[in-house]
Amino acid sequence: MPLSVDARWDLIDKISKQTVEFGARKHTLKDAIAELTVKPLTGIPVAIAVIYGFWSFFCDFAGTLFTDGFMVRLFDEHWLPWLQSVFPGGLKNPFYALMVDAGHIEGGVLVASDNCFEAFGVLTSGFFVVFGVVLWAVLAFYLMFAILEDAGYLPRLAVLVDTVLHKIGLHGYAIVPTFLSLGCNVPGVTATRPLETRKQRFMMMTLLAIFVPCGAQIGIMQDLVPEMMGWIFLTLAIGYLGFGFILNKIVPGKSPELIMDVPPYQMPTLRNIVRKLWIRTSRFLIVAVPFVLLGSIIVGLMYLTGAMDWLAAVLGPLLMGWFGVPSETVAPLIAGFLRKDLAVGILGGLMEQGIMTTFQVFTSVILLCIYFPCLATFALMLKEENGKEILGSLASLVAMVFVYGGLIHLVGIMLGVA
Amino acid sequence: MKILLMGHPNVGKSVFFNRLTGAKVLESNYPGTTVDFMKGWMRLEGEDVELIDVPGAFSLEPKDRAEEVAVKMLAENKDSVIVCVLDASKIERGLYLALEIIEKGYPAVVALNMWDVAEDKNIRIDVEKLERILGVPVVPTTAISGEGFKELVSKIKEAAPVKIEKIIESAGGRESAAVS
Amino acid sequence: MEKKLSEMDFDEEGTVKEIEENLKKQVAGMGIREGKNVRMATKQPIKGPVVVEVDKSFTSLGLGIADKIVVEVE
Ligand SMILES: Nc1nc2c(ncn2[C@@H]2O[C@H](COP(=O)(O)OP(=O)(O)O)[C@@H](O)[C@H]2O)c(=O)[nH]1
Ligand SMILES: [Mg+2]
Repeated sequence: MPLSVDARWDLIDKISKQTVEFGARKHTLKDAIAELTVKPLTGIPVAIAVIYGFWSFFCDFAGTLFTDGFMVRLFDEHWLPWLQSVFPGGLKNPFYALMVDAGHIEGGVLVASDNCFEAFGVLTSGFFVVFGVVLWAVLAFYLMFAILEDAGYLPRLAVLVDTVLHKIGLHGYAIVPTFLSLGCNVPGVTATRPLETRKQRFMMMTLLAIFVPCGAQIGIMQDLVPEMMGWIFLTLAIGYLGFGFILNKIVPGKSPELIMDVPPYQMPTLRNIVRKLWIRTSRFLIVAVPFVLLGSIIVGLMYLTGAMDWLAAVLGPLLMGWFGVPSETVAPLIAGFLRKDLAVGILGGLMEQGIMTTFQVFTSVILLCIYFPCLATFALMLKEENGKEILGSLASLVAMVFVYGGLIHLVGIMLGVA
Repeated sequence: MKILLMGHPNVGKSVFFNRLTGAKVLESNYPGTTVDFMKGWMRLEGEDVELIDVPGAFSLEPKDRAEEVAVKMLAENKDSVIVCVLDASKIERGLYLALEIIEKGYPAVVALNMWDVAEDKNIRIDVEKLERILGVPVVPTTAISGEGFKELVSKIKEAAPVKIEKIIESAGGRESAAVS
Repeated sequence: MEKKLSEMDFDEEGTVKEIEENLKKQVAGMGIREGKNVRMATKQPIKGPVVVEVDKSFTSLGLGIADKIVVEVE
């Protein structure tokens, strides 16, 4: 027969008195570090340093070393010209356009592309996005994340941010799914499970799907518009907190307070890190590669058949009028249903053609983040929560996209940059 | 028969699992959730027995989805032996969960893991006496080096259900430990 | 002197005197219970959570929860 809580503790006290002897407690260096990282006075600077280190590593390792230093050259100077020379057909051949290079109009004539962002082909842009940029970004991200996770830093971060997140009805623990989503939203959605109530999980998933760009997307953005990254993150963070605040007011349910174990720091083991890195990266590739390739085929076909121009004409007034972005943005928005990284890549192609102002690029990048989760994330959300909640999530998403997208446009108009 | 590894998060359950199981392991999804758990097989006296790495739980009073799954898995496997993995350096709160499991009538073995950490912290535990009081096998282990594993495996067969009243008695009477 | 856990100062130690009945089960798994020694390991500003040490393990509790625990301090 089960005991009451008090009776059970009484029993444990008795057992412990007879069998356990606690020696003198030593305050070790590890204890001191453990406390320094949760105390606000020292913890917040440490957290900023950790995140800054994370970001520098992400940019230097993935962006500068692999993508710029090696992959861009490999793809633009070898892979693209080689395909252009050996692939059957030519610039005006539809299959060639789909697979290799759609070309673009310069001074009234169709000319070949000279980089993989512009080419729009499955084998060029599609491959470049996955293997040239995104893979390295995701790998760098997961390496850093696994180290922080295994060292036991994440619960400390959760304690530090609980103050803020509690105000929008979430736990400090919500930082873990948020952070993980910056790698890929799919495991991020999975990581919402330690949140205690349906309300918290629903809010978290909705916020993740809308405001947290994945590593693939960040990698591409960092490659295309490095100077804008600060503004992009700021805009998304404001949206995350602001929209979270509103959701907290309108979503029924409880937001219980934090009760969380803060485990001791541990030396991460190489074996564990390598294992996690392998599992997460291979899962990422399984999700990403088919969708990126499929997405490039669909977008390519829509261009070839004229469907894209038709959609651009139909949606153009809305896009231009409400959000202030040109009708060509339709193409990346379509691709974004499948993969955000591919979508930003297509946006990069449009940028290179010089048809967008800086502010329009900025707005488009934000819109791409927030207008819909990618297909893999959406499918997982469907599996995770019941249909009614997903409908609620979608409804709030649509409302939010219009409000926030319009707001950004408005701010742009007021600042005179739109 | 199945063997369930249960305990708080971060006590070394997964290291146990990896050491005890062979090459064939499965990562499964608890139906209707995204909570993953690992399932594998271990050799026990010439037989292949299923071993499950149950998601970490602090108590059988679930606070979140992972804990819910742990409680459900326990309820669905009435005929299993539970290996309660405790952090020896935090033995009291570990015993809380172990007692909850024993109270439900499951045959249990208590692994006092992180024995090395407890030694470093100057915590001394009288294993024999603890075993006498609880009436279930208690084995000190250090999962990362594999110390104590042989003994642990050999004692799984000895696990049998124990009445909580008997534990109260062996601990020295029931005056304050009233059954609710 | 008795006070709420949430009112303890940084690094102050005390003994848990009383835990609100329906909270008991929730914190039991963390080893927090009546009669135990607690130390305030960290307090976050602006109504943030606290981190307390019980039996050498650390647990973070929201302020609203720390309000429901009474401690006896010197
Ligand atoms: N020092 C020491 N560390 C251990 C021991 N067992 C496990 N660990 C470490 O404790 C951490 C948590 O172990 P893990 O198996 O993931 O815990 P789980 O959450 O219970 O599955 C890992 O870093 C292990 O390497 C042990 O006996 N001694
Ligand atoms: Mg584990």
